[in-house]
Amino acid sequence: MSSIAGAGISHETDVRSWKREPIKPGKSDDQLEAALTERFGLTRDAKDRWNLTLVLAAGKAKAQLHEVVQFLRDSPDLRFDMLLDLASIDYLSYPNHRGPRFAIVYLFKSLVFRHRLKLKVEIDEDDAEVPSIHDLYRIADWTEREVFDQMGIVFSGHPNLKRILNHHEFVGHPLRKDYPCQKRQKLSINDPMVDQLEARLKHYGYQVVESGEVHLGAPIAAKHQSVAEQGPVDDQKKANAHGAVGAGGV
Amino acid sequence: MKVLTPEGDRLDLMTLNMGPSHPATHGTLRIFAALDGETMKAAVCEMGYLHRGFEKMTEQGTYSMVLPYTDRLNYCSAMINNIGFCKAVEKMFNVTVPERCITLRVILMELSRIIDHLVCSCTNLVDLGALTNFWYFFNTREEVYKIWEKLCGQRLTNTVTRIGGMYRDAYPGFESDVQKVLGQIEKAVAEVRGLIERNKIFIDRTKDVCVVSAEEAISYGWTGPCLRASGVDRDMRKDEPYYGYETYQFDTVVGETGDTYDRIMIRLYEMLESASIVRQALARLKPGPVNTSDARLSLPDRDRVYHDMEALINSFKLIYEGVRPPPGECYDALEAANGELGFHITSDGGTNPYRIKVRPPCFTQYAAFGPMCEGEMIADAAATLGSINIIAGELDR
Repeated sequence: MSSIAGAGISHETDVRSWKREPIKPGKSDDQLEAALTERFGLTRDAKDRWNLTLVLAAGKAKAQLHEVVQFLRDSPDLRFDMLLDLASIDYLSYPNHRGPRFAIVYLFKSLVFRHRLKLKVEIDEDDAEVPSIHDLYRIADWTEREVFDQMGIVFSGHPNLKRILNHHEFVGHPLRKDYPCQKRQKLSINDPMVDQLEARLKHYGYQVVESGEVHLGAPIAAKHQSVAEQGPVDDQKKANAHGAVGAGGV
Repeated sequence: MKVLTPEGDRLDLMTLNMGPSHPATHGTLRIFAALDGETMKAAVCEMGYLHRGFEKMTEQGTYSMVLPYTDRLNYCSAMINNIGFCKAVEKMFNVTVPERCITLRVILMELSRIIDHLVCSCTNLVDLGALTNFWYFFNTREEVYKIWEKLCGQRLTNTVTRIGGMYRDAYPGFESDVQKVLGQIEKAVAEVRGLIERNKIFIDRTKDVCVVSAEEAISYGWTGPCLRASGVDRDMRKDEPYYGYETYQFDTVVGETGDTYDRIMIRLYEMLESASIVRQALARLKPGPVNTSDARLSLPDRDRVYHDMEALINSFKLIYEGVRPPPGECYDALEAANGELGFHITSDGGTNPYRIKVRPPCFTQYAAFGPMCEGEMIADAAATLGSINIIAGELDR
């Protein structure tokens, strides 16, 4: 293992520091509710009749989300050490819905105790922004990008809030209820990702002097049935001339 | 790309695209790397080349119409996705499927886990140049596919379950076919272990390569075999048992270092554990109904439909409208071959799902892939990508 790997994935703690023991019985949903609702002014979501969902109201998210999540992760009798996923919901056409248009459900799981929790953050349409928690869970970087891409909710403080599933030229947010499902868009050349690569190099202390000529990669024919000719002629030539490794199927 | 190293030396890095259609990516992934010789100094990953709007599509049809789409998530073990989705919808109805259905589902899930691991392990070994293992494992997988074909007429995309039960009961002779294939699986695993376990090339290529610590694996939200390779002994079948997994005798296979070697070996040993679960389940398989009698989910008997007005209406409603879970939001998950596969379903009480969010297990693994291979050799990155088992179908949805 080379030294630089230590910076990408930190090996400060030995893997054996994970104490192998059976999972401990966790708190019941009611106990979790009692422990959290008063402390942070959360309410139990009546929509979830099967498990526990606690709601963080729209006005409070900006100030409190980071603090609540940090408490969930670090509190010794909660230890929600895993963020499983973010599920975003657009309530635009939900029957008899009152309240903010969007919500994000943060799915937490503990590997120490046998309990789970869903934290639902309500989000107003005209202020669709919540603080990022990428510094608390590494996976949040990508899951937040997915929510931004699909639902158009902005995560303030996110280092690289780019689209992740859709093409970078895509306009709109497909999982919003007002995005027509049959809509087609013409998309051309893929994201060079040079900025992301340079950011990684800078992370390791490299200084980029000259980006130089970068292999652009194969034009995307498969993505959204867009045709390669849509791209600017120059970019096309560039991509073809350099024949990125993937393009020729080496 | 010209850079200054942290020590102040000038260095010319070569930028290279691996993918989106490169054989080593086993699908349509793109890795963009800055290389110093053969060492990857930095790497960033792109996904989405197989994005087809799964979650948007699920909102356009009924719950039953979602089932065939779930086949296309992790197409190496399609049945686990079918069962995962049905289990989530059944949870919304608070319906328990009959005993025989549960046991059948356990058998199908564990066999699916085995064929998923077979594909992952042997293609991973092909990336390392060990082609022989491929034939041992793909021949065995073919035998399982023959059972699938007899069971539901499909090999890859099975759609074998229904909300509230199964498509149909197992065919006569199913048990003996499964018994036979278990022997073949164990033989194939023994053969592959014989080829690689003491093989110097294999060990040199995989030991201490792309190590992921337990803390990192947890922070990245890893689940399944990859998390266990990092030494974390967590398995939903043990910790939050469903379908009676707590009554089966099996061990959780756990790694030591979290390197590529552990990730490959864990899958080999897990196949043997799964085979043992299937044997125990076969012994429990008793005759009985496979579909729930709950009229909200299951079609009434044909006999009754022709003679009973209520049954006729019930049949019509189920065919034309489908099931209508009570309004609300529900998350349900199970231990798929790759890790925790979850469905977060929002229902408005109507016939179509209001919103379905899938929690694909390999999304978290792929998010860590770039940082994992920084500082490693490019050939090792290919081997590691195989070991974290990225399935583009569920990654990109």
